[in-house]
Amino acid sequence: MADSTSEYVTLVSCDGFEFILPRSTACISGTIRRMLDPASKFSEALTGRCVLETLTGVVLEKVCEYFFYNEKHKDQANVPDMDIPPELCLELLMAADYLDT
Amino acid sequence: MDSEVPLPPPRRIRHRSPARAGTSPSSSIASSFRKARRLSRFDDRSSQPSSDPALFSSDDIPASGLENYNAPVTGGAGRKRRYRGTWWGEQVIDPKRKRADFKEKRQVDSGVWMGSDESTAESLLPSEDASAWGEDLLKTVLDPKATGKYPQGLALPKATAAPVLPLPIWKGLHESEQHKFARAVVNDCLEKGEDSIDLGNFDLREIPPGLLQPLQHLTKLPSVKEAPLSENAYSSLQPFLRVYLSGNSLTTLNNELFELGDLKVLSVRNNKLSEIPYTIQKLAALEVLNVSVNLLTHLPWELLRLLQHGELKHLTAFPNPFPSIEEGEITKWHRQPRKSQENGKPETSLEDQLRFDEYEGSPPKNAWATIHVATSPITRRDMEGNPIDDGSASVVTPVALPPSSSTPSAPSLRELALRAVCKLPGLEQVTDDELDDFPSLVAPLMYQARKIRAAGGQRCSVCQHEYVVPRTSWLEWWDCTPHESGMKRPRTSGEKLRPLPFQRHGCSWACVPRLQNI
Repeated sequence: MADSTSEYVTLVSCDGFEFILPRSTACISGTIRRMLDPASKFSEALTGRCVLETLTGVVLEKVCEYFFYNEKHKDQANVPDMDIPPELCLELLMAADYLDT
Repeated sequence: MDSEVPLPPPRRIRHRSPARAGTSPSSSIASSFRKARRLSRFDDRSSQPSSDPALFSSDDIPASGLENYNAPVTGGAGRKRRYRGTWWGEQVIDPKRKRADFKEKRQVDSGVWMGSDESTAESLLPSEDASAWGEDLLKTVLDPKATGKYPQGLALPKATAAPVLPLPIWKGLHESEQHKFARAVVNDCLEKGEDSIDLGNFDLREIPPGLLQPLQHLTKLPSVKEAPLSENAYSSLQPFLRVYLSGNSLTTLNNELFELGDLKVLSVRNNKLSEIPYTIQKLAALEVLNVSVNLLTHLPWELLRLLQHGELKHLTAFPNPFPSIEEGEITKWHRQPRKSQENGKPETSLEDQLRFDEYEGSPPKNAWATIHVATSPITRRDMEGNPIDDGSASVVTPVALPPSSSTPSAPSLRELALRAVCKLPGLEQVTDDELDDFPSLVAPLMYQARKIRAAGGQRCSVCQHEYVVPRTSWLEWWDCTPHESGMKRPRTSGEKLRPLPFQRHGCSWACVPRLQNI
């Protein structure tokens, strides 16, 4: 159990996959940022562990890939497209809606 | 036939003597004859392929390998398997199976319908006459309300008539009179090779699908004249395509219109258009465009490209409810009027900005060109494309803005997923009902993706990336006075400029005009 000031947070998919990534990276998502806001006193904020009940492991992996993609290309001028497999794009669209990214 | 047959040496087979071929005493002459026919592939005079047939036929039986090819088979290992047909498409003949009777085979439907064949005619005709079924299907597809008219079991009055009727494709559709008339006009033009299509004052509310598509293949007919031929009897057969849609009630222009790459003249005067789609950039050959008397508040920025680099020489934009530049909010003026520089005044009045440079003698180059007069403030849009007010954004939705950087240039995950959606095959076939099944937040994005896919994709005007949801938009005020007069005269000295608003989009918050000193 990490405390709220930890540098890393854990994202858990509905089928039990865990992804550990830097807090700043995960906070690209508005939903996760609000979950982890220390002022909110949510249990996620206290434990640093977000269980995303609506996302499967496959989708969450792609979402995490996007977080790092976003982090990497944040200040770049010409951003290449991230590769999204066509079978995942609809689920990712829903996930993006949910995660507010 | 079941008794032992030693592997016969090829020479012997060639003799084809009935007495030797069949060793079984019970074998009749007929059966041995049949057998001899089966073996006729070994015959030199056979009309079958001339390639070697011998070894191939029994390779899969171990006892019949090459080493004991001539030796008699001792065990009950079996007879040489016999094949029928050519060596590449051979079939094993089952010796026990009798040749199928011709009459048994005859039951297969030959696919030929003959008038005298009563059984076929009876089984087909009563309910599901081919042409009636086709018509029925067409109605179902094109007009869902009319499906109840022909119940499946009901025999149609015409059903017993000749089954092959020409399918009336557009007959029976509930198409409005205007559409029918418009189609007739287009067909008439195609027939006569007439390249001026006048669909004016038809009271069209929309351009019916499939109306303009055939015009892509319009060919002019050579004019036949009596001798003597004058010089101007020879004219180009290249159509000078002109489409007049003026005086209708169109609210949108569909993509079919913009597929006409050879279109030279387009008039949508006096309609109810509130927007000219950016797909107008596909009309690279366009020379004259009339968009006057509509409900336009801005023009697409892509149209400016046609004015600058394309063939567009004559743009008629007024009257339209464009905002006037005096009232519009301006972030940056792009012109430095010479007069104000001479006076040394940093502040220039609006009148100075909107006055063309004074010159003497021949008009300078920029008297013909388009002039960028001003740029409006940039409207930033959120990830769903809704404009957000910059001033109150930090108050109302603090979390909507990313914390660290103010201008994120990386596309959002929504945008990335939508770009992938746009590349999905079959997106055009998705119906509105299916899209409505999506969650309410996603459905509008899907509509937009489908629309952009239908238009052939759109590119960011700043970074040239393909995108779906515009994140920034702004107006650029350009003066196109020479183009409005058909490039007949340049701007006169000190002429008042009358800039037009062109709306431009960017794909991310970083895709904004590079303004040095805002």
